[in-house]
Order: sequence, then C-alpha cells, then structure tokens
Amino acid sequence: MTARRFRIIATLAITLLFLLAWAFPILWSVLNSLKTDSDVLAYPPKLFFTPTLEPYRDVLFGSASILPNLVSSFVISIGTTIITMLMAVPAAYALARLRFRGKKFAGFYVLATQMLPPVGIIIPYFLILRNIGWIDTYQGIILIYLSFSLPFAIWLLVSYFEDIPFEMEEAAYLDGASRMKTLRRIIIPQVRGGIAVTVVFVFLNAWNEFLFAVVLSGNTVRPVTVAMFNFVSVEQTLWAKLAAVSVLAMLPVVILGVVAQKNIVKGLTVGAVKGGGRR
Amino acid sequence: MKSFAPTRRTFLKAGTAATALLGLAPSVMRQAAAQEADLAPYKSAKIDWQQASGETITIAVIPASYFENLISLAPQFKALTGIDVRFEKIPPAQIRQKSVIDLTSKTGTYATHAADPMYYSLYAANKWVEPLDSYLADKSLTDADWFKFDDIIPAWRAADSVDGKQYGVPYDGEVTIQVYRKDLYDAKGLKPADDLETFVKNAAALNAPNDRIWGTALRGVAGAGQNMYIYPSIFREFGGQWFKGGKLTVNGPEAEAALAWYIDVMRKYAPTAAANWNWPDIADAFSQGTVASYIDAHSSASVINNPEKSKVIGKVGYARWPKGPTGKRVSSIWNWGFPINAAQTDKKKKATWLFIQWAASAETQARTAHRFAGPAKRSGVNRSSIWKDPDYVKLMNGFGDNFVEATMATLQSDTDVDWRPRVPQWPAIGDTMATAIQSALSGQATIKAALDDAQRRVEPMMRG
Repeated sequence: MTARRFRIIATLAITLLFLLAWAFPILWSVLNSLKTDSDVLAYPPKLFFTPTLEPYRDVLFGSASILPNLVSSFVISIGTTIITMLMAVPAAYALARLRFRGKKFAGFYVLATQMLPPVGIIIPYFLILRNIGWIDTYQGIILIYLSFSLPFAIWLLVSYFEDIPFEMEEAAYLDGASRMKTLRRIIIPQVRGGIAVTVVFVFLNAWNEFLFAVVLSGNTVRPVTVAMFNFVSVEQTLWAKLAAVSVLAMLPVVILGVVAQKNIVKGLTVGAVKGGGRR
Repeated sequence: MKSFAPTRRTFLKAGTAATALLGLAPSVMRQAAAQEADLAPYKSAKIDWQQASGETITIAVIPASYFENLISLAPQFKALTGIDVRFEKIPPAQIRQKSVIDLTSKTGTYATHAADPMYYSLYAANKWVEPLDSYLADKSLTDADWFKFDDIIPAWRAADSVDGKQYGVPYDGEVTIQVYRKDLYDAKGLKPADDLETFVKNAAALNAPNDRIWGTALRGVAGAGQNMYIYPSIFREFGGQWFKGGKLTVNGPEAEAALAWYIDVMRKYAPTAAANWNWPDIADAFSQGTVASYIDAHSSASVINNPEKSKVIGKVGYARWPKGPTGKRVSSIWNWGFPINAAQTDKKKKATWLFIQWAASAETQARTAHRFAGPAKRSGVNRSSIWKDPDYVKLMNGFGDNFVEATMATLQSDTDVDWRPRVPQWPAIGDTMATAIQSALSGQATIKAALDDAQRRVEPMMRG
C-alpha cells in the first residue's frame, strides 16, 4: 500500500515538474503582460504587483495596434485550414482506399514536398508570387501555406482512413450507397477525431508561421507573428507589450485546442486501440 | 484584475469602435500635418521638387523611433513633391533578408531601404544599387548649396561608400562610446577610463556581484552585429589588421590578445548572462543599476534615461572609447542609410533620390529631432551643423555629463571605416567570427583554436 502511494506521489511530482517547466514561459508572459515596464525589469521578479491593462490597451488600440494583424492572421489561418481540409480529405481517402496507377509515386511525391528545407524555397516562392502580383495578398500567402499544410494534412489523414475496416464500406455498398455517399455518411463520421486533429494542426501551423510570412507579407497583409517583432525595436525591447501581444496571439489557438479537445482525445485513442488490436 | 471582465458584447463593441477610430485617425492627422507644414525651407532649393509627381515608392525601414518621426512627416513630402511614399516596417534581422531577396531578384519592390553599411560592398559588387555621385552632381536633381552633402557626418558618409564611390546617404547613425555610473565612480574616486587597462581596473573596483552590481557588460550574444560589433574595435586597438599582405587575417598574436582581453572582462566583471546579451539587454541592466559601465552605442542613452523605467537618471556620464595598448582608439560606427534600388524605372529612381535628399536634408533632420513635436528625440542626427545647434546640444546633454563632447570627439577622431573588413563576403565572415568568439567565451575552444578555426573557415570565402 505504501509502495503504491509512493508511486502515485512520485508520478504526481514528476508530472507537476514537467507541467511547471512547460507552463512557466506561458505564465511568465501572462504575468509580464500585466506589468508596467519598470515592474518587468524589477529584481527580484515581482510576483505581487499592481496589475495594469496598459500594455493590452496599447497593443490593441495604440498607434501600433495589432488588431489588423490579428485579422490578417485569422483570414490566412482559416482560409488555409478550410481549403486544406476540402482537398486533403478526398485526397487522403483516395490514397488510403482507391487503387490507381502511380498511387505509390503520388504518395511519395506528396511527402517529398515536405522534405525541402523551407529556407531553400523562399526565394522561388517570392519570385513566383512577385511575377503574378500576389506578394502581400491573402491569396498569395494562403497558396504558399497550402504547399506545406496540404501534404501534412493528407499524410495525417491517410492513417485515419486506413484504420477504418473495409467491411464497413462494403456493407454500405451492399445497401446500395454510392462511393460518395459512403464517404460522406459512413467514412467521414468515423474519422471525425482525425479530422479534428488535422484541423488543429493545420490551423496552428498557419497561425504560428513566421518564416514565409515575413518575406511574403507586406503592409496590407501582415500576420501577428510578424507584427509582434516590431515590439523588439533596435532601441529597446518593449517587454510588457511583447508579452501582451504573445498572450493575445496565443488565445485563439488555446480556444481552438479546448474546443477540439474532445474530438482529439477520441481521435488519438481510436488510432491507438486499432494499432494495438492489429498486433 | 476585476476591471478586465468584458462581456462578449462590450468587447465586440469596443473592438469595432476602436477599429473605426483607427481607420479615421491617421487620415485626420495626415491632413492636419500637411496643412501646418511650412514648405518654404525646402522650396528655397533650386530644383523642381515636383519632377516625379504622381509616382508611388515603397520604403522599408526598421521599427525605431527615429524612423517613426520621419514617417509622421511623410505628408509634408507628399505636399512638396507629389510623390506617394509607402513605408513598410521590418525588424532589423529580416530587413536584410528581405532587401537582399528583393535586390537579387531585381523586382524593385523597395525603392530604397534602411541599409546596413556593411552590405554596400555586396550591393556595389553586384550593381544592385546606383552609385550616387551622378545624382549628387546633377543640378536638376540636387541643389548642392542647399543640400550641403559635406555637412553630413564624414565617418557615416565614408561607411556608406565603396572605393570612394557613394552608394548610400546616412539618415541616422550611432557611434560607440563609454557609459558609466558617475555616482559610483565618484564614490570610489574613479575617473572614466582613458585606456583599456584602466577600464578593467574600474570594473574590478566596482564589481560586487553579492550586492548585485557588476563592473561592466559588453555585447556577448553571437552575431555579426552583436559580439562582432564590439570585438573588432578591441582587435584593432590591440594592433590587429584585417588584411595582411592582401590576405584577410583573423588570427595571430594581436587577435589572441584582443580576444583574451574581451573574455577576461566578460568572465570576471560582467554578469554571467551577458554572454547572451545584446544592446537592449545591456541598457536595460544599466538602467536598473546593476551594471556600473558599458561600451556601446551612444544612442542607448535614450533608454537609460527613460523616466518610465530607468533608476539611474542624473547619475550617468559618458567618455570616449578607452585607448588600446597601441595608444589608438577605435570606435565602431553604424548608420542607417538609404541607397537607390537599381531595378527601377528612371522616374522612380528620381523620385527615390528626391526622397533621400528630403530625408537627409538639414531641415528634415531638425524637424525629426529637436524640433519634433512628439516625445521621441533623435540622438543620431546626421548633420554636423545640427550637432552645433545650441537647442540640440542642450537637449542631448540632458542625457548626462559630457554626452555631446564624447560623441562628437569620438565621431571626429576615433572612428575608422575599416574597423570591420569591408568586403562583399562580410555577412558570412561576420557570422563565422561571431561563432568563434562565442565558443572561446563559453570555453568550448581555446582562444587560439577558435581563431585558427575561424581563419580556416574564412579563407575559402575570400577565394569564392
């Protein structure tokens, strides 16, 4: 009994330690975002201080407001996610189920686009967008984001589709359902968890992307990840404001994560159980 | 905390209202500024300011108060020339990347950009930017008597030229000086250091980590513009020469002595974390009273005098770079200048030049500095004449003892355009050296091994 209790306590302690290490930067940002500049620099770091919403007011409604950047980020991330999912679900299904010539090659090709280091393709992307006049436009950035979100989404979804027993589909066909109807009514509901996971990851990647955004964006379309850097000026780092923007930029992802959590957990366990069963 | 509990509705309302206001505010302000602007001082120049009217040019700058001031005057430029200017603010690390991509691909996105002086060799070697001599000499484009190009601080002008040809016009600049805590120095009877030896002695005398005061701090983080901003001055003061018999040399006895001095100071008298510090971190620490002295850009004076967070206002003094064992002072200089992107139509190039002439003119420099209406005052004004203007001098001396004298003396006597090797391969060389310095500082390699390794890496770069 005591050995068991010890194990529980040890597990708890280790979990807490990891949780703390993981949560520390976030807590730190939240705390600093509520401080004045002089409190941010105070030593020893103040845990108790008079909170101020000044940094938030500044970054939201001040002269360097990030509201337009948040809008940019939303348009880009939501656009990327919707288009990716519309294309990735059928593509993943096809790769998992259909037999067609060049299937293996197509699968590999989709993956190959993921193998290039992003830095290497920035200049070609810049030139392409420049030539078609899509620099600093939503369609331009979304198009480029699709080039890496799509392969990622397809490969993530393929594994979920492969996990569905073929018998389920056969049953639907026997009952006279068409392939499209089967996909819509039988298959997709089964991979809901997988789709939720994919949506979160695609949205997260698009939301947090910086490397391409900084090169391909401009004054009109500028996501929050790029705008955030303007609080690190050559003269000084505006810690409180930087923290406030970070917290604001974190929020949508956190909310999406919480909303999708139920489905994600389900999605993850579906995969796990199936994998275990196969063995 | 309780005050921040908006319902969804009030939040949306506030957001919508704010967005609407934001949309309106700039246009209202722009109109007001344009109406108030007195353009007579510009119109006394004997050129046709309207010759490129109707053009639109995009200019990349970095987020900094001195560019914010300029951006707020853009409506005056539009009223004067009929040229529309769009500014794009890009952080310092990315502006190099973006402008090089723009220049290599010859897309002409940015008519001009805030350029790193160390990049001009690269730009010029590839003919990406225009030589400016013809623009300066063209009487239809430049009124030499009005523009007074020679009034711009010579050290910064030289930094923006390659082989005697001008490629950029400095807008705002910096020079590296010694900054110290007057009160702490006085208490111990210390004087600001005149040579590196005294600098170390002063740091040792004030170093008391248990009381949270460290003797000094120098840029420690690895980077061509970070530890390789401070090290080259030390290297040159110890007698180092970048080119020995035409060959780029970064190792040898002088280099070893210089690096040893830097590492000794950083290990013994600087906070441990300073190995990862950049200039804002040094200024932040100094402003909190934990560092007794530092050597860095004179422009950091505005940070350590920021009443909102500094605890050392009124306790600061300034002095020139301490002399090295050779008796030489080698300060580092920096400026953000404007080149003309060569991949543009002739009319756009003219519009760009008119913008550069306007931004670098004595009138605009004054309007963005001591005569600027807002709170941020520039300490990097490009004109020798303004540095003698009593109004400006008074404003600048508000930063502390000896500020203007130290800055001016350094700019006049202690700078050296070759404080870093000015070659097209600089960006790669700078990064290689930065890594070598850091590995020696962290003890991963001995000083000699780090420098010899850097030499081995640098040589093929110079051949290629």
